[in-house]
Amino acid sequence: MTALPVTLDITRPVRWNIDVARVFAISIAVLACLAVAVLLVTILWLSFTDGTPGDPQLGYTLGHYREIFIDSFTYRVLWNTALFLVITLIVAFALALPMAWLVERTDFPGKPIVFTLMTVALLIPGFAVALGWLFLLHPRIGLINQAVMALFGLSAAPFNIATIVGMGIVEGLSLTPITFIMTSVVLRSMDPSLEEAAAMSGAKPWQAVVRVTLRVLWPGLLAAAIYVSAICFAAFDVPAILGLTNRIYTFSTYVFRQLTPTEGPPEYGGVATLSMIMLVIAIAMSWAYRVVQRQAPRYAVVTGKAYRPRIHALGPAKAPAIVFVVLFFLVSQALPLVMLGWAAALPYLQTPSVEALAQLSLGNFRSIPTELLVRSITNTAILMVTVPTITMAASLAISWVILRAGTRGAAVLDFFAFLPVTVPPIVFSVAALLLALFVLRGVAPIYGTIWILILVYAIARMSYGTRMTNSALIQVHRELDEAAQVSGAGTFGVFRAVLLPLLAPTVLYAWIWIALLSFRELTLPVVLATGSNLPFSMLVWSYAQSSSYGRASAAALIMLALMAPILLLYWLVARRVGILTPR
Amino acid sequence: MIRIRNLRMTYHGAHAEQQAVKGVSLDVPEGAFYTLLGPSGCGKTTTLRCVAGLERPDEGEITIGDEVVFSSARNIFVPPHERNIGMVFQSYAIWPHMSVFENIAFPLRYKKPRPSASEMRERVMRALSLVRLDGLQDRPAPYLSGGQQQRLAVARALVAEPRVLLLDEPLSNLDAKLRDEMRLELREVVERLKVTTLFVTHEQIEALTMSDTIAVMRDGVIVQQGAPADIYAKPTQPFVADFIGKTNMINGRVISLSGGNGSRQASVETALGTLQCRAEDGVANGEAVAVTVRPENVALTETGQIGIVTNTVTGTVETTVFLGNMLDCIVAVGGERLHVQLHPSAALGRGARVRLRLPVEHCLAMRR
Repeated sequence: MTALPVTLDITRPVRWNIDVARVFAISIAVLACLAVAVLLVTILWLSFTDGTPGDPQLGYTLGHYREIFIDSFTYRVLWNTALFLVITLIVAFALALPMAWLVERTDFPGKPIVFTLMTVALLIPGFAVALGWLFLLHPRIGLINQAVMALFGLSAAPFNIATIVGMGIVEGLSLTPITFIMTSVVLRSMDPSLEEAAAMSGAKPWQAVVRVTLRVLWPGLLAAAIYVSAICFAAFDVPAILGLTNRIYTFSTYVFRQLTPTEGPPEYGGVATLSMIMLVIAIAMSWAYRVVQRQAPRYAVVTGKAYRPRIHALGPAKAPAIVFVVLFFLVSQALPLVMLGWAAALPYLQTPSVEALAQLSLGNFRSIPTELLVRSITNTAILMVTVPTITMAASLAISWVILRAGTRGAAVLDFFAFLPVTVPPIVFSVAALLLALFVLRGVAPIYGTIWILILVYAIARMSYGTRMTNSALIQVHRELDEAAQVSGAGTFGVFRAVLLPLLAPTVLYAWIWIALLSFRELTLPVVLATGSNLPFSMLVWSYAQSSSYGRASAAALIMLALMAPILLLYWLVARRVGILTPR
Repeated sequence: MIRIRNLRMTYHGAHAEQQAVKGVSLDVPEGAFYTLLGPSGCGKTTTLRCVAGLERPDEGEITIGDEVVFSSARNIFVPPHERNIGMVFQSYAIWPHMSVFENIAFPLRYKKPRPSASEMRERVMRALSLVRLDGLQDRPAPYLSGGQQQRLAVARALVAEPRVLLLDEPLSNLDAKLRDEMRLELREVVERLKVTTLFVTHEQIEALTMSDTIAVMRDGVIVQQGAPADIYAKPTQPFVADFIGKTNMINGRVISLSGGNGSRQASVETALGTLQCRAEDGVANGEAVAVTVRPENVALTETGQIGIVTNTVTGTVETTVFLGNMLDCIVAVGGERLHVQLHPSAALGRGARVRLRLPVEHCLAMRR
């Protein structure tokens, strides 16, 4: 190396370093976050306007808000929703909390199996389970109702699942798995020495549980309760399957009914306004969740210390505990799915009998038009490949920009990437529909194409994707990137050689999870799917809505059968990533 | 080889701005081992990271070899991957998804021109034997011990024959015994390859034993620079004297000065009486100064000696700690406490009266 005078460098041109990979990543991240913002701004804007799509001049008005707040039916729906929510929470926690305690803090056998089954139950579409319950407890066709009426000679059905209480119970059963997973995390993170200290101080075991354990766990449990409430508030499929035909609405099904009125054209401004109200409530819940969750560490229960929670011996209570858990899975999942099979195999629903058995056939399966079957399965397959790919690519870009690029405004990106988890799916689909109808119709006619579904699915899953990639990237020490940089790798080289291989297990796991969610998604296509872009879940929905319960069940069973191999793949990956192991 | 001029860098945090480097200039000659020493938050790591290109300074100029890699005036910023440097990180930053071989070969894959497969293999093997990891090339990197990972990091930093080697507290994650071994080994490897090295540490022992030149940093600036022996023997500031080695600091005021620059002598009035000292060039008559004297330079003299000998004081032993090779004492003298290290044969107990001599050549007066 010859030592040239440093001043000679002046003759060199000024170096402009445009880091292409960096610009690319930032563009993707900004674009993804912009999409979230645009969707939400669309419904905000339309909630203040009057008119129909294509109207050259939209008038501005506060009328929709006034009408909605005057309408007594709005309050009825709000009351229904609140009741639905409370019942769901009671059912979900009454079942999930004891099971979480059994799995985390006792010598309950077969813990990994419980975790696996809970994860599977998390993925079984709520509308399939709701259909099963309809067949059991519907006031007219419900088999239990028919049997009890025949047995006791009753003139009216004793049970009715198509009520707020019924919907709450079914939703509670279907949210038990997520509640279980959240509460088991809370139980796991508790330092057992607190309980031991209580025992040393002379407290009896039950006193220790009430006075110490519950008080200490309270913030974590409250956070879990708010989280589950938010999911329940946004829930669509159970209230839609059970309540829509009987005109019993929760907020999300009410938004849907306003969008697809039984008579007359929809009032889009009003729908946008309802969506706005729903969004505000959802944001308030998510804010409350964050506040409670942030307060939880004040109790300093979750220390970095390695400890094993104290395991209680169940003793003679072991058998009843096992029966309880097994019964839960049988009643909440197996029973409704068996009902689907029964309904699918019969021309019309009837109580089990010799005549019924004689009528068993595959007729319902055969009656689904092949063309429709192929088209909808193709659409679902396209969604299952493209949605996770787009979501994870965008999530990687966003996480990298937030955590690694050192750009200003990263916090804004983080906020928008987190926002979708707050937004109820029905609001997202309404926003996308309105955006497509009012704004994009001339520019990008994506309404009616698979693209609108791909984009909305991907945006809706973005907060899940970024949370996964964020937590994975945080665990990759920054010096690993820097070592590659000084070794000669540029931004893209660092990403390809170091970050991608290290993040691969998480990305793969999240990819499959999003694929599974895309497979069972109902709320988004219910508003956006038309004909050619119909995904498979809509087949079940359409048959159920037209009361073709046999064919709806047949379609649901095909759906579950197709899901099984992907579930197996998920299970294999999750086990490798170490997500299914309790600790 | 490395030339830094007036480097300034401010971190823009979420809530506050922190000026980490406030005008650092330094020159590292070719083949030299240059150490930035200072407490945490003094800006030493930031300076190193600016040389690596991992931080972009606000102001100044950095030259590596004959290439200006950063210049605020000329809007030059060469990204780290084009700087041709080797760096060892505090965490070692060993890529866990690669084998030992792949870790070391990585810089070669990005070198231009890219070496052939056989040459690459040969160079990786040479780097492995340089750090005495022969035979471990196929081991997955996470299966190495802490010391082995550290060596692997050194091999990876050196394999592509970088212009300079940057070491960011490379020894701080090792246990004490291993750290002593690695200190010598690292110095030996660097010496053998004659690679220009910029080393960052907060451990004075590492700085003193490994460096050709030490620059002591505080609050974003270099406060003193020199050879290890000079820094130790002639600190120019109380901070340097205190940071490097243990020292006694006695506050006082200059009452007279004599001698020219470089050999000035001062009489300083202190709580211990008037002390004769060597004086810093900047010290003026009447100024408040700190007199520093290292514990090992304080000598025990006979209490029975008649007359006043220069710089002798009498005190009472407060505590003694036997350390095997020396006796570590605290002696109370005229309201001050002197830290004194004596030969272990000086069997002194608590409360003993002692007469201590503070040799003039070891007493340094510097501005407070």
